[in-house]
Amino acid sequence: MHDLGIVGAGPAGMAAALAVADMGFSVIVVDEQARAGGQIFRRPPEAWGERHGVYRPYAWARDLIERFEDHPKITAAFRATAFGVLRGNDKDDRASLELAVSSPDGGQRVSARRLLLATGAYDMPVAFPGWTLPGVMTAGAIQSLIKSQKLLSGKRVVLAGSHPIQLILAGQLLDAGADIVEIALARDLPGLKEMARGLPAVPGHVSIFTEAVRALSKIMRHGVPIRWRTVVSEATPEDTGLRVRLETVDPSWLGTGESHLHEADILVLGYGFTPSTELARQAGCEMKWDSAGGGWTVLHDARFQSTAPDIFVAGEPTGVAGAERAWAEGHIAGLFIAASLGAKLDDRALSHSTRRLIRAGRFSDVMQTMFEPKRKALAELSRQDETVICRCEEVRNRQIEDALQNNPFIQSVNAVKLECRSGMGVCQGRYCEGTVAARIGNAREASIEASGYYNAHLPVKPVALQVYRDISKD
Amino acid sequence: MFKAQRLKANRGRALQFTFEGTTVTAYDGETVATALLAAGVTAFNVTRGGEPRMPFCNMGTCFDCAVCVNGHSLVRACLTDVSSGMQVNRQEGK
Repeated sequence: MHDLGIVGAGPAGMAAALAVADMGFSVIVVDEQARAGGQIFRRPPEAWGERHGVYRPYAWARDLIERFEDHPKITAAFRATAFGVLRGNDKDDRASLELAVSSPDGGQRVSARRLLLATGAYDMPVAFPGWTLPGVMTAGAIQSLIKSQKLLSGKRVVLAGSHPIQLILAGQLLDAGADIVEIALARDLPGLKEMARGLPAVPGHVSIFTEAVRALSKIMRHGVPIRWRTVVSEATPEDTGLRVRLETVDPSWLGTGESHLHEADILVLGYGFTPSTELARQAGCEMKWDSAGGGWTVLHDARFQSTAPDIFVAGEPTGVAGAERAWAEGHIAGLFIAASLGAKLDDRALSHSTRRLIRAGRFSDVMQTMFEPKRKALAELSRQDETVICRCEEVRNRQIEDALQNNPFIQSVNAVKLECRSGMGVCQGRYCEGTVAARIGNAREASIEASGYYNAHLPVKPVALQVYRDISKD
Repeated sequence: MFKAQRLKANRGRALQFTFEGTTVTAYDGETVATALLAAGVTAFNVTRGGEPRMPFCNMGTCFDCAVCVNGHSLVRACLTDVSSGMQVNRQEGK
């Protein structure tokens, strides 16, 4: 039995692990990647001989990773998937909390007195005709392949999105030798008023802005066109790659009918991020809608405790706010977890992290407001007869449209799921929930929040039957 | 059709595995997704509806890179490290 079990070894998970382990408690961390760092600090594999990758602009990452990896009270299991939270009673009839974990060696149950879900986020999916074609990839995919595998996915690249990560990624792609055909951004160029409102984000985050300026100047030097008020509306296969249609949109991001075409090897989508909350849902944590924070987030108190007993949450699942804030949340959660296990609350450390949390919050609030995706408008891109909406079960627009028209009382994603199987496939609804929810909102003239979220059940990610046999053993 | 390019890096030792019976060369530390992308594979799996799929998220959430590895189905290529002699096959109708 460990004192704390953590899912996710990104900034939040590592910060929490250290805060708790430094008090002498034992911590186990489970992560699907090969090494610690999370998506933000993905680095080349151990076998290539380098301990570190490039963590710019986060100067503190190196030290955090080293302390995490070297701590004697922290055990980490990589290439391991936590696919469920189990509650029960141990041999002495005390309440127990366990993680069901699957790894290449099989299945196991990991028991802990407290759990922290620091599961991060994934690229927000946007469905449009052709988004399932080979060569259409997310910004996170392209970036992680460059950072951790030193692989350039294709030569001719079109980037479409609305999140500033697209500009940083464009800089990395140019360094790697890609030809960027165009960067299409959904929003308008920010006006002076908006820029002025964004000023509070600057103090303490100069290095992040420096990084953005560095990327922008690279983009300009290479003469890469940036087109504002433009979204991707279609991709079709070509013998030599993809043909990508980019459409001009109005300020509400609805199509104007005016479009142009490009040929490319790779189309990169970067419309923002969705918090990974399936494990929290399965564990019974109450959720909270926060569109600017990425959609459905995990409700928590000031100690970062969720509504489910003994389960804490930190980082992107509380609202996507970046690495700096994830670190602070993880550290604060760790201090309160240690206190709940019987340690004295470290007031000095708490006030230090709280200051960092507030400072990081000033930055993330501005970013969230400036770049919040217009979900209902983006969902309209999927409204063409044969467009796939659920990638796994291949549920198409027509089926969703029919389900909504023939069943006027359907107003939730779970009801649509029962009616036409969207969200029942291997990804467990991660890639269609947002589109289906917004489509219901559009059809019923209701909020997206009113469509609710898919229920999550164990296993939250598909595992082999053998894994079940393994975890059934005592 | 496009083919991913390995960038300059000190990679691990070269090794061989098979995809659909054809030998693929990769380097220790690479994922199956990287090796197949670099080999120019354009269909990691084929859906029940007959559509080819390739990695979409590269972080283990979308399952579009799922392949069969040594007889085990639905293995995410982006989270699986290559090893010598590994037998990888296209996943049909996942």
